[in-house]
Amino acid sequence: MGNAALAYLAAGIGIAGAALGAGLGIGRLASSAMEGTARQPEAANEIRTTMIIAAALIEGVAIIAEIVAILLIVLT
Amino acid sequence: MNMLRPHEIGTIFKQLMENMKLNPLRWLALVALVVGLLAAGAPAQAAESDGSGDPKAVQHSADGNYLNFEPFGVIELPRLFLARTAEGGFTFDAFATTHAALDHGPYTLGDGEGGTLTDAQVDASFKDHKHLYFPVKRAQGSIMVDFSLTRHTVYVFLVGLIVVVVMLRLAAKYKRGVGREEAPHGTWQNLMEVFIVFLRDEVTKPTIGERWKTYFPYVATVFFFILLGNLIGLVPWGVTATSNIMVTGTLAAFTFVLTQFAGTKEYWQHIFNPPGVPVFVKPFLVPVEFIGLFTKPLALAFRLFGNMLSGHLVIVSLIGLIFIFAAQLGTGVGYATIFISVPLTVFIYVLKLAISFIQAYIFAILSALFIGLAIEEHEHVGEEHIGIEEDDERRRAEIEGDGVPGQAEELQDVLDEGVTETTPVVSEPAR
Repeated sequence: MGNAALAYLAAGIGIAGAALGAGLGIGRLASSAMEGTARQPEAANEIRTTMIIAAALIEGVAIIAEIVAILLIVLT
Repeated sequence: MNMLRPHEIGTIFKQLMENMKLNPLRWLALVALVVGLLAAGAPAQAAESDGSGDPKAVQHSADGNYLNFEPFGVIELPRLFLARTAEGGFTFDAFATTHAALDHGPYTLGDGEGGTLTDAQVDASFKDHKHLYFPVKRAQGSIMVDFSLTRHTVYVFLVGLIVVVVMLRLAAKYKRGVGREEAPHGTWQNLMEVFIVFLRDEVTKPTIGERWKTYFPYVATVFFFILLGNLIGLVPWGVTATSNIMVTGTLAAFTFVLTQFAGTKEYWQHIFNPPGVPVFVKPFLVPVEFIGLFTKPLALAFRLFGNMLSGHLVIVSLIGLIFIFAAQLGTGVGYATIFISVPLTVFIYVLKLAISFIQAYIFAILSALFIGLAIEEHEHVGEEHIGIEEDDERRRAEIEGDGVPGQAEELQDVLDEGVTETTPVVSEPAR
């Protein structure tokens, strides 16, 4: 395999791992938030806001992985 | 089980028609929509079927110097170059189309790998508009800056124009008193009021707090711009300008600048001199906090970009599966794949519709959140919702007391009070 092929492979594997991690993370977050909302419907608005902040942070890590993958493809 | 008999189906259909009040004009719109949706698949099919390895289908979701109305034609956009001539001087060249630049100007096509196409190859590329897929080079000298209009630029301006026109018309309606002194009139105003009330009560107020009025116009503008930008890409031949990192980056830059200007002394203190942290940790913490300033808008830009681009690429891939299977396993398998690929494409399409709204909402609420975090008074963390309640209380008393608000108030003020007066149930924040 050439360097370019390795870079593409790395980008693919990397983004797969990032997607897996972010999916698991946001899945757990959403399940907990739903549980919380079901237990305490009057707190739904606050739970939603905090959930979005946390989801943005989790997604942020996945997005950094996305940038790295894009850089791997663009720069080779 | 009772089966429906044909004449019963007819009756139900007739009743449905009567209930929906489908007049001929609406029928025409419906038919046009269906035909348009069917035609939207055509460019992707045409692109895949030539099988020359030409990345035309991927080009469909990328930027380019043309508007693609493929079965009917391609409109080339003007090319503007700031170039350096062979003698070392500067020159500004403007051409109506890429074709004109290649024919009449000192420009030629590069092959994308550092080489240059020969004149014969350039002439051959004019067939099927292939010249639009190669980078333009200057024969003598070099291109310094390429100011050419691209289709994403065109659609950014188009979306901006539509948002400005629609919103100004709506604002004029509220200024006249419709929606303030009387109930909002018509489907359109009611629909937009739902969005605006949601943005005010669920997005801006809980995140920014007391000073929401200053930032509500920005949040609403960015929401409607992104929403329309996303939705216009789902229309046949439409282009998703928000799937360009430059467009989303510019939007995120607006949020970034606004956040920094909104920042209080405490906000900056928390970055450069975090309180309550041991001195030896500070050299490590301050750089992290400083980088955090830039990762927030960067994530904002990449989130929207990635979400909008991935939908297009997934649809291209799903449609492409048909042609890949047809080429690899025979035409019959290709036809069979249609029954898998097309329903999946429709599913992704519906998902994209939902994502268009969700991403616009996420961008708006995160922008509001970053601004809110920057202007937050840190002693009052956790008490902000009480502040809003008090604000609501005060506002309600005001409205009951004065009745009609003054004519010369700001737009959001007008929207806000008009909404509260006419639809009190909606404006109550759910607690």
